[in-house]
Amino acid sequence: MNIVVSMKQTFDTEATITLSNGKINSAGVELVVNPYDEFALEEALKLKEAAGEGEVVLVSVGGEGVAKALRTGLATGADRAVLIDDPALADADEWAVAVALAKAIEQIEYDVILAGRMAIDDGSSQVAVRLADALGLPSVTSVLKLDVDGKKATATKEIDGGTEDIEVALPAVFTAQKGLNEPRLPSMAGIMKSKKKEIKSVTLAELGFSADDLLPKTNIQEFSLPSPRAGGHIVDGEPADAAKELARLLREEAKVI
Amino acid sequence: MSGTTYVYNLRDLKFILKEWLDMGKLLSLPPYAEYYDADDIDFIVDNTFKVCRDKVAVVNDDADKIGVKFEDGKVVSPESFRDAFKAVNEAGLGAGNADREVEAHLPYTIVQSNYEMLCAASLAFTGYWGLTTGAISVIQNYASEELKEKFLPNMCAGEWGGTMNLTESGAGSDVGANVTKAFPTDEPGIYKIKGNKIFITGGDHDLCSNFIHLVLARIEGALPGTAGLSLFIVPKIWVDDDGGLGEPNDVVTTGIEEKMGLHGQPTCSLSYGENDGCRGYLIGAPPDENGKASGIRQMFLMMNEERLMIGIQGLAVTGAAYLHSLAYAKERVQGRKFTDPKGERVRIIEHEDIRRMLMMQKSCSEAIRALVLKSCYYYDLSHDSEDPEEKAFAEGMFQISNPLCKAYSTDMAWLLISDAIQVFGGYGFTAEYPVEQLARDCKVLSIWEGTNYIQAQDLVGRKFTMQKGKVLTDWMEDIGGFIKSHKDKEGYGREFEVLSGAFGDMNYILEEVSAYGEGDRKEMTPLFATRILHAAAMLYCGRLIIDQALLAGEKLIELGEDHFDAAYYKGKIASARFYILNIVPQVGAIRRVIGLGDASAIDIAEESFA
Repeated sequence: MNIVVSMKQTFDTEATITLSNGKINSAGVELVVNPYDEFALEEALKLKEAAGEGEVVLVSVGGEGVAKALRTGLATGADRAVLIDDPALADADEWAVAVALAKAIEQIEYDVILAGRMAIDDGSSQVAVRLADALGLPSVTSVLKLDVDGKKATATKEIDGGTEDIEVALPAVFTAQKGLNEPRLPSMAGIMKSKKKEIKSVTLAELGFSADDLLPKTNIQEFSLPSPRAGGHIVDGEPADAAKELARLLREEAKVI
Repeated sequence: MSGTTYVYNLRDLKFILKEWLDMGKLLSLPPYAEYYDADDIDFIVDNTFKVCRDKVAVVNDDADKIGVKFEDGKVVSPESFRDAFKAVNEAGLGAGNADREVEAHLPYTIVQSNYEMLCAASLAFTGYWGLTTGAISVIQNYASEELKEKFLPNMCAGEWGGTMNLTESGAGSDVGANVTKAFPTDEPGIYKIKGNKIFITGGDHDLCSNFIHLVLARIEGALPGTAGLSLFIVPKIWVDDDGGLGEPNDVVTTGIEEKMGLHGQPTCSLSYGENDGCRGYLIGAPPDENGKASGIRQMFLMMNEERLMIGIQGLAVTGAAYLHSLAYAKERVQGRKFTDPKGERVRIIEHEDIRRMLMMQKSCSEAIRALVLKSCYYYDLSHDSEDPEEKAFAEGMFQISNPLCKAYSTDMAWLLISDAIQVFGGYGFTAEYPVEQLARDCKVLSIWEGTNYIQAQDLVGRKFTMQKGKVLTDWMEDIGGFIKSHKDKEGYGREFEVLSGAFGDMNYILEEVSAYGEGDRKEMTPLFATRILHAAAMLYCGRLIIDQALLAGEKLIELGEDHFDAAYYKGKIASARFYILNIVPQVGAIRRVIGLGDASAIDIAEESFA
């Protein structure tokens, strides 16, 4: 069983986001593996362990810093990693990332592709499904349970108000939702072993792209921080009167009902 | 709010490991060079932080609120401990780190850095493998190959626990009063053991399938006192030749203590050989023809490492209390500024006395972190350096620092956590906030593994005179030389003036100690020993933290005031300044007290204590 895991490095969930010159300021911010990608990696490792053979390959886009996230994945148990490292992707959008990843993954043998259901930084949930599209594969998102049997898989996915079981032919792309598993942590021995595992760095040219092939199709006009939360309003009075007043406020002031 | 909120100062640890100590040099030494380099430090400590935050800190509430129980003769730990214990062992953060022979082991400095993070997550929980590490060291250093093979693999894997058994009801600090006996059997090296031990940390519980007790006992005919004690490996369940578990070895847990703190850590009373069926393996040779045995020397290898670990425990809880009180002070709004009594209400971090208490905690915990990790670094060099001169120097520096680490860190823990509680005000006294638990949990640290007075005796009686005073001379020269070569550093004139004064005060104290030792009031030395230890610790901590501040100053110039990390470096300089100008002058006060030479505590009649 060969599994590819698409991995992204993101800000630590507890990092304070600030803006500098209209961009997100990353100076001094702790960077981590996207938490949903940890679920994806754990599932990949479990699938490989259950199969008793195969390899888990990590793929990512980014610079030298991203290699740290990949090494965390290697220390956790992945076998090798491919990093698409090209300055032309510095402002890449989800489409460009997905297309670049697809090209790199085409060169890897795989039965299953796993990714987090979204990245916690931009939260767009696009890369994995675009990746499936680029590779011409089926995809199942927000997976809570995954059973692989030969050339097909049964995935339980989260839907509004419940779950849905989907049977899909392999290879396919699955995105991991929280609850799929309990990710393991790297061990000291794993950290040491990871130093000897390969992180292969490739450029867009090496993937067969020319400079203009992956120019972003989206244009970010502005970043802004959420407005500070306004103070709360306690509605006094008898419950019945207070409820009426609350309904009025919601309708007339908040305009939400 | 609860103990499950994990707080730890990873930035200060990284400053020490990546900027202050020359870890590149240490990691280039033969045991490590093939496996690690300085770039791995981030990776290792970040991962440990995560294990602590996600797997260990989450059991700290259970450790305190549920605690460990003694039911039907069995020690039962909280249910949540199982996953956490498994996670610690799987992450490679458990007892296996004591194995200094295994390929690719980590240097002690990194092992103990990880240990500080673990203790900050749940001090009580770390007791489930803390003593196993010491037991592994003793077995690895002194036991036969056969015994090593029999016991170490399962101990290193966390399957079996290890303990140290010194204390008996009549033999606490007075270890030589041990009455546990050992009788030879027909099998060479195997003795029957009979006696009772108390206060055995991790002596029994349900996370391990067997316990390998290291027991001090006296073989018939051996000398009285510590000189006649031998050390035995006594498994709770006998280990068969094939490595499997055999019959119970007549080791019975008779109870656990109800304690002020560390509720989650079992402190056991153990009975050995109640039915004449307890056997143990003698470590090393039996007593010589004069009845002199080697058990206490063997046990002291374990004890020395444990003492350094206790210093780290003290640091860990102090650091946690500081960060909790800091977070609270930034949020809690009370009163108005002293300089603006009619202004808006402010957060308490804006009050002068709160800042004093926060700085006290910050500067002392950073100074103590410098002390204990520098000591670990020397410990590593004393093992691994290829330069015999450096190795010997490092050994001496470790020896003299060890009692300082143990006693100063843990004495200060109690005082500094008291400040943390004070910052919280009335809420700090409630169980709703985590600092009261830290206070309860930390108190034993100044007592166990040799009380802090025993540390003071060790410093003044043994370490000051070690190698005919060479160790002390090296240590004083290290401090004096440092002051001399940096005293003209621009911007630090007052700090070096105070440090230089304290150095002179320490010289005076040492002369007084020597005079007391040679005079007719020898009891004055033990009377002042604790204060001498504190003076030595404050002087040395001052030397170390200003060294850090000088480095921080250079970094600040290099990176500029607008760099995101500038606040950390400025904070480091402020810590050093506060420590030297507010704490180190106490060395002078101790000198004055010793100079006054008041003996009223000795001379007062016992009945007048009423």
